[in-house]
Amino acid sequence: MNYAPKLYIGTAGWSYKDWVPNFYPSGESKEFSWLEFYSRYFNVVEVNSSYYTYINPNIIKGWLKKVEDAEEFLFTFKLHQDFTHKRYYGNDQVNAIRYNLDMLKEAERLGGILIQFPYSFDCCEPNIEYVGELIRNFDGYDKFVEVRHASWNNKRAKSITFCTIDQPQIGQAIEFVPVVGNGCAYIRFHGRNEEAWKRSISNYGKIQTYEEQNQRYQYLYSPGELTEINQKIREIYDKVKKVFVIMNNHPHGDAVANAFELMHLLKEKVKVKMPQTILKEYPRLKQISSN
Amino acid sequence: MRTIFHLDLDAFFVSVERILDPALIGKPVIVGANPEKGEGRGVVAACSYEAREYGLHSAMPIRQAYQLCPHGIYVHGSHGEYSRYSRAVGSLLGKYAPQLEKASIDEYYMDFTGCRHMYGSMFSFATRLQREIWEKLSLPCSIGIGSNKTVAKIGSDCMKPRGITYIIPGMEKEFLAPMPVETIPGVGKMTLPELHAKGFYTIGDVSSASEEYFGAAFGKMGISLWRKANGEGTEYLSTPVDQKSISSERTYGNDVLSISQMEETLQKLTGKVCQQVRDEGWQAGKVSLKLRYSDFVTLSRDKTIKPTDDDKVVLETIMDLFHKAYTRRVAVRLLGVKLGKFNEFFEQGQLFEEKEEIRKRMLKAVTGLRDKFGYESIQFGRTDPKSNRMSNPFRG
Repeated sequence: MNYAPKLYIGTAGWSYKDWVPNFYPSGESKEFSWLEFYSRYFNVVEVNSSYYTYINPNIIKGWLKKVEDAEEFLFTFKLHQDFTHKRYYGNDQVNAIRYNLDMLKEAERLGGILIQFPYSFDCCEPNIEYVGELIRNFDGYDKFVEVRHASWNNKRAKSITFCTIDQPQIGQAIEFVPVVGNGCAYIRFHGRNEEAWKRSISNYGKIQTYEEQNQRYQYLYSPGELTEINQKIREIYDKVKKVFVIMNNHPHGDAVANAFELMHLLKEKVKVKMPQTILKEYPRLKQISSN
Repeated sequence: MRTIFHLDLDAFFVSVERILDPALIGKPVIVGANPEKGEGRGVVAACSYEAREYGLHSAMPIRQAYQLCPHGIYVHGSHGEYSRYSRAVGSLLGKYAPQLEKASIDEYYMDFTGCRHMYGSMFSFATRLQREIWEKLSLPCSIGIGSNKTVAKIGSDCMKPRGITYIIPGMEKEFLAPMPVETIPGVGKMTLPELHAKGFYTIGDVSSASEEYFGAAFGKMGISLWRKANGEGTEYLSTPVDQKSISSERTYGNDVLSISQMEETLQKLTGKVCQQVRDEGWQAGKVSLKLRYSDFVTLSRDKTIKPTDDDKVVLETIMDLFHKAYTRRVAVRLLGVKLGKFNEFFEQGQLFEEKEEIRKRMLKAVTGLRDKFGYESIQFGRTDPKSNRMSNPFRG
């Protein structure tokens, strides 16, 4: 191996009840912090709650304290839906977000912002202009832009990073090929649960339980799939300085198990530090565990 | 003199099963049908070297395998994973080999002719390749290096597992001579008794006889066998045509609900892509349909077919795919037809029946007319299934 970029590997969110006891130990006291535990093993987490709410800066202060002991740990921050889905915002909203981002940036804990647009956001002049406006509003932070409409395919960007998505190969979904922009790749894995994905498309707009909503993310990538993913990510190693790998197949902790496996493959097959809890539920990890 | 590598993954299915479940390492593992305690049907798809010690081999009836090795671990197989690992090997080899031919899920030919300056000694390079596949993918393999495909394949097979065999150019005949005659690819259950009956037990027995004799005694097959025994074989790899697909799409200005209008569009698109395929002298082995509803829900459906460049065959497949795919009563925004998996077109007269021969000549004439007068100069009509009447959708 000649050159390897800096790898940030983690999950989309960390606060999942169904990660107990597969990742987080059960029977812990109230003081036990999931984020602190998470940061012992991973060097990045994608904050998704910021999409639904303007997070109270005190909460962010609390997070920074929880990850104090983690030498390198970054948060990537999903931009509020007012900016991407409702597309209705003012200076107050921009300032509220910037306040939080600056707090993370000053603490050297900010990986960047994830700007995720809905499927309908296609590549046309007004939309390109809109993205330009957002880029100006959030100048000074690394930006990862997720656009899902096929009209954006093959569009290259210099100052931002278009996200790479892995999801079931249905409809017009394109084959998994990492995209590079601004010297970086930001890769999100949604699992390949085809049946549940199709069901969720046909149930769109209906009231669903938490389980139903999350079923489409329930998927454990197989060793063969991870091997192919590893090869494809390695193909861009010489074009990037940083690679973010975010697993969103969160139900039951599949995302955690797969994140450990990708860590092993992407880092020259080094043994990976992981808790005993995960080995019980995913015995195949024993091969790669440094325990 | 060419330098051909044949790389064969050792007990490939078993190796993958061992990645998925390391508890299988060192044990007799059999991939195939369920033996159902010796009552099962089907055959052994692959077995580990530990199982081979009990006399098991691929293609053996599973019932027989069970009798020989009842304590073996029988697994059904994870075929999706085999394909993924096979692709991963191909992608790794593709980084080095100027030309790569995937002969099967676990075998690759590579042409390294003229690469000595780049990679150094071919033997050491093969060792490096073997090590890299082991380190990166945990798959053991054997490699044969020869001046043609046949010799390389026999080479990879003779030192399994984890073997590397380099057959020095010019020494092919000597290398092959002591081997049993069934080592030659293509000598199977039918031919072997005939060869034995005539006193041919080793490859050397065959090569020392005359070509004329083999031609007279075994016909065309005999000549090919004699040549292989003398170290001759195919020197060039068959590599697929580079372009992956040819497609054509139509996005309607106003979304369409009329099925006959959609059918007309599909016919037009099919005509266009088939002509492009014929222009290249290719045949397509895969037909794909793309359908986007007005709410942007998009489907794509494909079907593998016997390679063809004929509009009729492609259109029938497309219509079939379309009628199965168009299930919602929602207007359509876009339709697309794509052809892929191309083979270069080789004349194989005996394979065509008379009717197809006529169509072939007709298609050639259509291509000629379009060359002269442009694509629009001649169009195919369509039989309306309801009225049983020919209609030309493009001429009103």
